[in-house]
Amino acid sequence: MTAVDTGLAAEYAAIYAYGAAAVHLDGDPRWIAEELEAEHRSRRDALVDYYGAHGLEAAPSEPGYDIDPITDAAGAQELLLAIEENVTATWRAAVAATEPTEREICLKMYSDSAVSLARWRLGIGRPVADPWPGRPE
Amino acid sequence: MFTTRRGLLVGAAVLTAAGCTEETAQIITSDADLTAALHTARSLARAADALGYSEIAQDHQAHVATLERLLRPNEVTEETAEVPADAAALAEAEAAGGSEAAESCLATESNYAVLLGEIAACRAAHAAVIV
Repeated sequence: MTAVDTGLAAEYAAIYAYGAAAVHLDGDPRWIAEELEAEHRSRRDALVDYYGAHGLEAAPSEPGYDIDPITDAAGAQELLLAIEENVTATWRAAVAATEPTEREICLKMYSDSAVSLARWRLGIGRPVADPWPGRPE
Repeated sequence: MFTTRRGLLVGAAVLTAAGCTEETAQIITSDADLTAALHTARSLARAADALGYSEIAQDHQAHVATLERLLRPNEVTEETAEVPADAAALAEAEAAGGSEAAESCLATESNYAVLLGEIAACRAAHAAVIV
């Protein structure tokens, strides 16, 4: 499994989680979640294009992903925070790729995911500052 | 050169004091990507602090501390730069700093690709949330 494969799998899981969680949100978090879900879909599409351009076949998404049951807005916010942190951590690790085009797309995805993470933190009233986005503690 | 034992001892002491010993010289090389990242981190830290974005300034200070540690024993001198006039100018400087670190990340052959990527991602995130 390549770094890009792992990142694509994280993006699939994020899209699934947003689909399940956004309905529990209102106000600013709701529209930010909708925007971020659209960004994950755009990233997925860019990744599928990357596979096509390199004569590779992208793995399909799973039929479902294992997420905790969501009962309220607070639970939805926490789930999406965990999702954004996971996606950012996945792409951060992928930047270590040594093949130039692979590193380039992984860095683009990492940077975009760090922006999404910061926007979500801001949207739910969490501190945004993070010198090392996605770095394991 | 040394005609007496006393002369020999004095000569040896002088040569040692002057640094003329047989210790292997250590050539210190600086990493240009890390040095550039350090200059920008210092500049962004000053700018964010001056405009009241203390948490963002702390992110840059964390970068400064890490980069200075990696560049030791080299001392990288401070460069004075104009502080951005407002939040929009700071966001622009953050975006430019992010692009600079991203280019370094893609070009570097060192082991610091992930570090430079982290700095690039952090600056991009700042640029997106500064209002």
